[in-house]
Amino acid sequence: MNFGFSEEQRDVQNLARQIFTDLVSPETLKASDDYAAERFDEALWGKLAEAGLLGVAIDEAYGGMGFGFMELGLLVEEVGRSIAPAPVIPALVSGALPIQKFGSDEQKQRLLPGVVSGKTLLTAALMEKFNENPASPKLTSAVAKDGGYSVSGTKLCVPFAHRAERMIVSAKTEGGVVVLLVDPKAQGVTLNEMKVTTFEPQYEVVLKDVAVAADDVLAQADEGASVMQWLAECTTAALCTHQVGVTDCAMRMTASYTAERKQFGVPIATFQAVGHRAANCFIDVECLRLNAYQAVSRLANGLSATNEVQIAKIWAGDVGHRVSYASQHLHGGMGIDRDYPLWRYCTWMRHNEMMLGSSAKNLAALGKRVAAGEAYCQ
Amino acid sequence: MKVEFTPEQEALRTELRAYFNELMTPELRIECDRDMGEGGGPLWREALLKMGRDGWIGVGWPKELGGRGMSPIEQFIFVEEIMRAGYPFPFLTTESVGPQLAEHGNEWQKANIVPKILTGECLIAIGYSEPGAGTDLARLKTTAVKEGDEWVINGQKMWTSLAHFCDYVWLACRTDQNAEKPHRGISMFLVPTSDPGWSSTPVVTLGGVRTNATYYDNIRVTDDALVGELNKGWKLITGQLNRERLSLVNCGPTQQLFNGVVKWAEETELPEGGRLIDQPWVQMNLAKVRAGVEALKLVCYKQAWAMTEGTLDMADASAAKVYGSEFFIEVYRALGEVMEQMSLVSEHSPNAEQHASRVERLYRTASIITFGGGTNEIQRDIISAAGLWMPRATR
Repeated sequence: MNFGFSEEQRDVQNLARQIFTDLVSPETLKASDDYAAERFDEALWGKLAEAGLLGVAIDEAYGGMGFGFMELGLLVEEVGRSIAPAPVIPALVSGALPIQKFGSDEQKQRLLPGVVSGKTLLTAALMEKFNENPASPKLTSAVAKDGGYSVSGTKLCVPFAHRAERMIVSAKTEGGVVVLLVDPKAQGVTLNEMKVTTFEPQYEVVLKDVAVAADDVLAQADEGASVMQWLAECTTAALCTHQVGVTDCAMRMTASYTAERKQFGVPIATFQAVGHRAANCFIDVECLRLNAYQAVSRLANGLSATNEVQIAKIWAGDVGHRVSYASQHLHGGMGIDRDYPLWRYCTWMRHNEMMLGSSAKNLAALGKRVAAGEAYCQ
Repeated sequence: MKVEFTPEQEALRTELRAYFNELMTPELRIECDRDMGEGGGPLWREALLKMGRDGWIGVGWPKELGGRGMSPIEQFIFVEEIMRAGYPFPFLTTESVGPQLAEHGNEWQKANIVPKILTGECLIAIGYSEPGAGTDLARLKTTAVKEGDEWVINGQKMWTSLAHFCDYVWLACRTDQNAEKPHRGISMFLVPTSDPGWSSTPVVTLGGVRTNATYYDNIRVTDDALVGELNKGWKLITGQLNRERLSLVNCGPTQQLFNGVVKWAEETELPEGGRLIDQPWVQMNLAKVRAGVEALKLVCYKQAWAMTEGTLDMADASAAKVYGSEFFIEVYRALGEVMEQMSLVSEHSPNAEQHASRVERLYRTASIITFGGGTNEIQRDIISAAGLWMPRATR
């Protein structure tokens, strides 16, 4: 039983926090509001590469630090705390981790060193319309062709597809689900911009008879679904740790604000109704934090984590929603002013709440597992 | 970061589970049910003496004071297992007051009371609250006045649970009417319930559990009864409350209840055919409880771990108390809904069902710990001040 962090984990946390504190501010974030500029800070990405953080969970053989998913999760939490314009989840979690775990030597050699140096961006196309389960694609299918596949279909909300060297795409075939590394610049790929609540660059990816070479097949039909299940669980757990950072920061911003803001001659924090609403956020964030860490640490240690990931995501959705509205409410108007930093946090709490399944959807999924005898308390 | 028990901790759990399984005979279980999970009956006393002989009292006390010197994580496992077994262990005597007496007691107390606590022969109730002093405990009015070599004690206490079968009351008394601050004029006494000036009247509660109003009419004790220094009782009170909070929220019994209800719902057929557990709304309720109990488990384990490391954060401790106490109420509601009308049928009814009738009772008792053990308003005050650095109103 250990809820503490190792020295290496604290180093990762501190290094990341330092870089984001130095390079991310309301002014830098403002640049990409309303899609005025692309929400991707190249200088920041370069700095993360220079510090080795883009390779935190990549093997030393490919130039990485050789740590695991727990350390990457802590980096993601710091991205959340600063809502840095850095696609750490799509590139390092959804993109790089499955290639490292399931890819061929050639694929790893080809793609991972570039991820570490910041030259190569990866992403994953995880959602389809009304289908948030990438292990079971409904609207994308593939047929064998020339040793590889020809794939067609439509994916939604694919982050950074326009910059990606490859995007991970799951498609159904007659024999099962295959996982492909699709080049967004390949013939037959159309990227349609989607404008979303966070201003993150996202695309509808339309695939029409796109040829994927044998070299770019990540998993064949016999193991594609389990690869995607693992990828989805890692990404979901990462969204939860991102939510830990976002909610923790919004809550603390709110606590500080109420300690300064005076009404009736006293700081509003001294009103019990105000203090208690903030205290509820504290309890919520602590519950989310522990569940998110548990999910990440189980995945990092190769343990089964389906229940723990679903539970963490339920908390991420509920806590994000509650902290968002409590923070806004306690700011009494200041929070909705776009010259004050809180509002961007609210959009990211919403993002993390909804991505890869809301609380309701995860509750329903967990309920099914309970009914199947798969979620007894240990 | 690792949320698993060590092999040694698992071994302790196995040992305890086997021990308590043997201890809880069917007869003892019936007696404990009759006494509303409070204990005090003859079989209950016999079992306590056996535990004393086997060294299972005072597990958290330092070895040099006669205990086992268990770490807080080990104590947590102990509490979890004993609560699972359903034995009403006298935690207030053995884990809250006992260690304070062993550490701060005088020679007489160390010679006459402490050893008997460890053998299970001495039981102590807690006398803090009064009709006019609850959360604002420092306003208490029960007095101890020195007359010659004796202290004369007069007053009334409320919610003196277990006092009707305890040997002493750990009593907070005002000993200095002119103290600069009210909490600086309070001292702790051990008052024998055998004194003719002591009396109690039962207070029957919503949950069916008996508690007491207790009365102190010119009870005379010597300095032997004074615990710690004169007018320094407040520190003993707050120290005791911190220890008490540890055993208030524990995930073990809820996990066990959840598992029982799931199993029951799997086996329950609906009149129109199909299993109850395949109903979407049933699955939703069970999933909500499952997600909530996971958080409770982690919050509890983290608290036990932090105490073992000596890094327990005040805000985290209060967060655990608030979350756990409020979550229990939601658990009983959600699981009660799953079992429909049967969750209103009491265990005394011939057609009662095991889990449903348990929920019938738990739902009635659950409100106690949202205000007991330091009311949740005060806990939230602590969280916003200690956890979020928000300024507090002066009171």
